[in-house]
Amino acid sequence: MYDILIKGGRVVDGSGRPAFAADVALKDGRIAAVGGTLTGEARRVIDAGGQVVAPGFIDPHTHFDVQLLWDGAAKPALEHGITCVVPGNCSLTLAPLRAGDRPALIGMFQQIEEMPPAAFTDAFEWTWEDFPGYLAALRKSLKINVAPLVGHSVIRLWVMGEAAARRTATADEIAAMGELLRQCLDAGAVGLSTSFVDVDENGRPVPSRFAAFAELDGLCAVLGEFGRMLQIVPEFYDVDLTIARIDQLAELSLKHGIPTTFSPVFDNALVPDAASRAIGRVEEQFARGARVWPQMQTRPIDISFSLLRPSLFFGRLPRWVRVLRLPLEPRIAALTDADTVAKMLADVGPDGGDRYMGDLIVRGGDAAPEALVGRTLRDIAAERGETPATALIAVSLEHGLDVAFLAASRGHDDTSRIGPMLAHPLVHIGASDGGAHLASFATYGDTGYLFSEFVRAAGALSLEAAVRKITSDTAEIWGLKERGRLQPGWAADVVIFDPDTIGRGEERPVFDMPGGGMRYVRDAVGIDTVVVNGEIAWTAGAYTDAEAGAICPLV
Amino acid sequence: MIVAAGITAGHDGRAELVVQVRHENGVVSAVVLDGDTGLRLMAGAGSDDIQTLVGRSWRDVLAHSVLGGT
Repeated sequence: MYDILIKGGRVVDGSGRPAFAADVALKDGRIAAVGGTLTGEARRVIDAGGQVVAPGFIDPHTHFDVQLLWDGAAKPALEHGITCVVPGNCSLTLAPLRAGDRPALIGMFQQIEEMPPAAFTDAFEWTWEDFPGYLAALRKSLKINVAPLVGHSVIRLWVMGEAAARRTATADEIAAMGELLRQCLDAGAVGLSTSFVDVDENGRPVPSRFAAFAELDGLCAVLGEFGRMLQIVPEFYDVDLTIARIDQLAELSLKHGIPTTFSPVFDNALVPDAASRAIGRVEEQFARGARVWPQMQTRPIDISFSLLRPSLFFGRLPRWVRVLRLPLEPRIAALTDADTVAKMLADVGPDGGDRYMGDLIVRGGDAAPEALVGRTLRDIAAERGETPATALIAVSLEHGLDVAFLAASRGHDDTSRIGPMLAHPLVHIGASDGGAHLASFATYGDTGYLFSEFVRAAGALSLEAAVRKITSDTAEIWGLKERGRLQPGWAADVVIFDPDTIGRGEERPVFDMPGGGMRYVRDAVGIDTVVVNGEIAWTAGAYTDAEAGAICPLV
Repeated sequence: MIVAAGITAGHDGRAELVVQVRHENGVVSAVVLDGDTGLRLMAGAGSDDIQTLVGRSWRDVLAHSVLGGT
């Protein structure tokens, strides 16, 4: 008897081959059969008529390290069809870490993830120091699968103490780091993450940035013993530096026989050749036999700001820049001074700022009243009988300036350019940053957006190619054993979705972080059921009690 | 010399400054500055409008904004 029989769906099996009508049977956490019409009995039958049955999606760039300790589903990632996440990116992980180094790491995490302090003190008991101990803590209530990286910065901290953020390592210290990395890989780490750009809460470079090349080379030699991944954050703001890192990754890949990946790669209209040059260099290095996977996100990048602090959003409005540069009290005084405001309004032109500001959206999650959240400034201004620029100032003043505005899709937003890049066989779809940037923007729904924007709207990828990109391609790149395809004997990670509606909901604030902390999320659209290791984890719009997630076995 | 300047969305969701710089050998390259750095650069250069950066010497702008004037 099967555990679950999914009947009547269109199977997109993750291999990239055309969709076909078939039933899918699951038993003991594995795919038991995929066939035209399966007749065996099952404890539960799911009618997938009109829907696609696909392998669960894999998100290769997340920061769920902390959240997974109190939320084993990494909500809302799982309900978007994600059945496996890779946390531990950008050199930061919760292990290996001595108790005395926790405050330093918390500072780095807060800088990168914008997670409230209570997340580290109230939400879980910190019972471990080593990597196996962290994995043991994770395993207690996992609903989603996890393939964790181990962070270079914490390995440095363990071996070098405070000197990790001051100097290069000695040969002995490099050897000790290598041994520690080996222990983490033995325990199940999928690879090593490092960063060349991140900073801590004081603006100081994270420890990994103090490493000389010999140290990275030594650690990659250990990765080579296991054939596991090196993930880096390059100097992505400069394409020439990024290309230099691509070359460096290629040398490490060839020398040690390891896969490497870097992110983010953005398309930027003001630097239009940046992404294509980086991808071009990747092509050259793959031709040499190296494996250097660029990760590109699907979602556009938004700009958000409030009048609480200066923003370059106003960079073409000189009087606004001058006023917003003022300290808070004089800034508020200026914004209430009729003469000053008149000059500011003159800056925006005769349309009252409609072209410049009319499309701004009130985000919420702050002092903005509920009635304004999600509405455009144009709409709010019309209701108030004001111009958009006047309304922006007035609404901000009425709420202590603590009103965030969103300028949607102001970067990485040209579908006609990004679609072909996402479809490129050497471009790895990822870089969601799931679980990070909590108070800045939602890092969920990128897979839904892949289907709604790049499959349905633009036709840049076929349905089958898109599924392959975020399932079997990802599993193969990362060495996840028997995941990413609907194939008998493989892990029963399955998502059932409506190909005509799958997408992402509007961004909205929620207060579900420990201590009542706020974050932005997006709800899933078009996802019917998510199965993790043969158990239904999410269906009919709700999570189940199943805790079938696992630390992913590796090839 | 700065030949163009614009605003774009940064990785962290804040507005960033992109300046196109023509170097002495004629090559034009882009410099992307995060929000805080871009604002500091504009303040140091005495600029309230990114368009007023265009035509100025990149080296001078850097000297005034990063080095505090030389």
